[in-house]
Amino acid sequence: MAKTKRRNVLKLAGTAAVASMGGMAGILATGRMPAFAQQRTVHWLKWVDFVPASDALLRREMLPEAEKALGIKINLETVNGNDLQPRVTAGIQSGAGPDLIMAFNNQTYLYANSVVDLTEIAESVAKQEGGMYKYARAVCSDGKMFMGMPWAVIGGMIAYRKSWFEEVGATSFPKTWVEYRDVAKKLKAKGRPIGQTLGHTFGDAPTFTYPYLWSWGGMEVDPAGKVILNSPATIESVKFMQGFWKDGCDEGGLAWDDTNNNRAFLSQTISATLNGASIYIETLRRPEQYKTEKGAPLNTDILHSPLPAGPAGQFGMHLLQSHMLMKYSKNQDPAKEFLKWIHAEKNFEKWFVSQKGFATPCTEKWEGHKVWSDDPVMAPFKVAAKLGQAPGTRRGNVPLRASSVWKTSAGWRSLSSCRRQCCSACSLPIPSSKA
Amino acid sequence: MLLGLFIAYPFFEGVKLSLSSARVGDPGHFVGLKNFHKIWNDSIFHTTMWNTFWYTGVTTVFKLALGLWLAILLNRHFRGKALVRAFILLPFIIPTVLSTFAWKWMFDPTFSVINWTLFQLGIITTRINWLGDPDLAMTSIIVINIWRGVPFFAITLLAGLQTISPELHEAAAIDGARPWQRFWHVTWPLLMPVTLVVVLFSVIQTFADFQLVYVMTGGGPANATHLFATYAYQLGIGTGLLAEGAAISLAMFPFLFIIVVVQLLYIRRVETR
Amino acid sequence: MIEGAAWRRWVFFNIPLILFVFVLLFPFYWMIITTFRPDGELYRPWNAVNYMPFWTNNPTFEHIFYLFEETNFARWMLNTMFIALVSTLISLFCGVLAGYALARLNFPYAGGLGTAIFITYLVPQTLLFIPLAEIIRNFKLGDTPWALILTYPTFLIPFCTWLMMGYFKAIPKELEECARIDGASRWKAMIYIIIPVAVPGILSSGIIAFTLSWNEFIYALVFLSSPDQKTVPVGVTSELIRGDVFFWGPLMAGALLGSIPVAIVYSFFVEHYVSGLTGSVKG
Repeated sequence: MAKTKRRNVLKLAGTAAVASMGGMAGILATGRMPAFAQQRTVHWLKWVDFVPASDALLRREMLPEAEKALGIKINLETVNGNDLQPRVTAGIQSGAGPDLIMAFNNQTYLYANSVVDLTEIAESVAKQEGGMYKYARAVCSDGKMFMGMPWAVIGGMIAYRKSWFEEVGATSFPKTWVEYRDVAKKLKAKGRPIGQTLGHTFGDAPTFTYPYLWSWGGMEVDPAGKVILNSPATIESVKFMQGFWKDGCDEGGLAWDDTNNNRAFLSQTISATLNGASIYIETLRRPEQYKTEKGAPLNTDILHSPLPAGPAGQFGMHLLQSHMLMKYSKNQDPAKEFLKWIHAEKNFEKWFVSQKGFATPCTEKWEGHKVWSDDPVMAPFKVAAKLGQAPGTRRGNVPLRASSVWKTSAGWRSLSSCRRQCCSACSLPIPSSKA
Repeated sequence: MLLGLFIAYPFFEGVKLSLSSARVGDPGHFVGLKNFHKIWNDSIFHTTMWNTFWYTGVTTVFKLALGLWLAILLNRHFRGKALVRAFILLPFIIPTVLSTFAWKWMFDPTFSVINWTLFQLGIITTRINWLGDPDLAMTSIIVINIWRGVPFFAITLLAGLQTISPELHEAAAIDGARPWQRFWHVTWPLLMPVTLVVVLFSVIQTFADFQLVYVMTGGGPANATHLFATYAYQLGIGTGLLAEGAAISLAMFPFLFIIVVVQLLYIRRVETR
Repeated sequence: MIEGAAWRRWVFFNIPLILFVFVLLFPFYWMIITTFRPDGELYRPWNAVNYMPFWTNNPTFEHIFYLFEETNFARWMLNTMFIALVSTLISLFCGVLAGYALARLNFPYAGGLGTAIFITYLVPQTLLFIPLAEIIRNFKLGDTPWALILTYPTFLIPFCTWLMMGYFKAIPKELEECARIDGASRWKAMIYIIIPVAVPGILSSGIIAFTLSWNEFIYALVFLSSPDQKTVPVGVTSELIRGDVFFWGPLMAGALLGSIPVAIVYSFFVEHYVSGLTGSVKG
């Protein structure tokens, strides 16, 4: 008896399976996107801009304009910057996804196999706009092709409190790391340490650690592409950092992501931090909210400076954003048309102005734009893209061969282990059982 | 059948991936166990392994103990019972990503309300660097996981408690059993099957936890809080070394498998008692 | 229930319960405060003189307005509800049947099958999502709710099955046997006797399955792309987390509004399964 009953139940389970299969067929029938017969579309995935006004400008004004001009429907999708990579990976591996995707820094090398060459667009923009910076070239092109179309550079400069630095005797910003450490020590003694983001995040942490390493003579690779991270200079830099961290920094920084240092600065618990221009822009936007302890608007007390110099020189690295046109895309032509459109000077300018200096374009022409001359405090950001270095390109003129090393796993490994070492050297000792 | 399609296929793909030299956009070729060999010699992987065991072990013990306690408390009659039962579930209902952000905000080095409270109570004199110190960061994450998991244990165990007929209790009480004895001899054995399953699920989920650590620390500071899933993610997605990422994900599998088999055997033994 | 003096009731019952409630709900209080606090007050360091963490004198609705005006929050809620509900129902249905079959029917491979179902649950999601993306593409389900409705059961069904197995095993066999003696078929016995008794179990695995799909992040992030298809966790994080810009107010408002309605729905369920159960066991 039990047997027949069991069959009943099994049959029932079977029905369930069939039902769900039927449901599936239904889904397959209805779930398909409605076919846009002639409508050409481009799916554009970028980060959520740190300047919200720019995304609003794109959505409300520029994209409708582009749609009208080009006859292309543009779907703009924005995600948190840290979530771009899973989307790229899933897209490449499954062969379907957004057509244009934003890449940070040399991620372009990582996806080189899966993107379309954009040399033509990049070179024509470069030609029209007085040439493209070396930095943008090094990051986006391996010499044979442009893996991404350089979009803009988010300049990273130290934002600091003029009056607080003056109070401890620093009338101008320290020139070298040693001087900076002295100033930091005095500042920390007054309860106003330097704040530096060193958490696992994409922006302010690497744009600090790379140039810092370079300025001590440390390098990830030599011109021949050999990984030479483990050098006396690197160790020297880590040792100094350890002292710098304890003497002059807010030790909470190891947990910070790209947002923490902004908040810390604006709530006036730190006196300086490496960041984009967003802190200053925020104080301009709401002067009534941010006031110094003396009651003056905070924006009158902020200045910007590049990172100090080390024994091997002074360096900077900035977050370069580019757009990759994916090989799997079925809309490559419309996507190219759109890229051309948005990089056309009059269109790009609108976007650039809405950034208020947060982003620096990758071509020389824009250096003369009035965005920079309007506000002297923003001036240091003008040349961010010009002076920036790309990882793997520390030895100036041999970027191409060297940067290709990042395509090897050894290169990537030592890159992450560099950050790892720097971080762990600065933190409190990790118990040996875990290290 | 669907289940097979949606799980078995990806699983085999994953295994294949872990045995290859695949990177993003490059299918690679078969390299045997090289990836496993590589991660085995990777010091961060060792940290990761240790972290995962520690994290899973500690949280499970606390979640079970506190969850059971709470379930027993909630099994009583009191005013506002339904309301309390529903609201106690809140930590579990709220999307993990968002609740973790709330905690991140509470642990924020600059704005921590916890520091404020401790300071006002005179317990500390300088701030505690919750997420910036490797050990404290791990502790913070464990606390959040327990906070999130207790309601799950409590409510599943509560449902289990309610399938136990009150008459059994009454009978035991008439026989003169003390509350503790009643719990130990009547409630606990009957609750055992549900408890084991719940523990099993919790162990698996905790072992493979991703969101919480990803949002809270991203594995930092200095990789001190990486778990299998987050480290696999960092290598596989962050640096595009898909094969190694897959290898790390799969390295989790034998451990989970052992844990599960042991628990399943135990469950079977309990059932045939 | 507790016999003896009032202090015993306090020590063994009231105080622990109050502590539990306090600790579990404190973060929510914090969310509420953050939601209604103006930005200017929000970003005051913890050791500032005028720091008042637990109260605000200038409550504001700006964060909530922002959420509804500037983002698709209402839409995300609907999406999440729909996806979570459908995938929970599918999984519960399969889970109850499979759980019952595995717990009660002694067919030869029950143990092995149970374990096999279980093992599918072990496959890490961070690994699964890449091949799954391929399947989703082949079925052309990308960017539709169905992409998630079909993938969520991959982790929900094993879960429901096992949880239900546990509950079914806890139900005394005698109950069912009585019914069978009275002439009910196994099928009928299951529907009329076992299922009603198992209602708390079904509800609680339903609650948990629902919550798991409500929570899910990676799949939702990868498989959905247009802003109006997103779920609450993905939508809120991708629209409100702008590295440099302050977002805590709307973010907390989103978290709060995303969970309170569900909590209210749950409170009805909880009420229901408590009374439903005691009735059926005694009756």
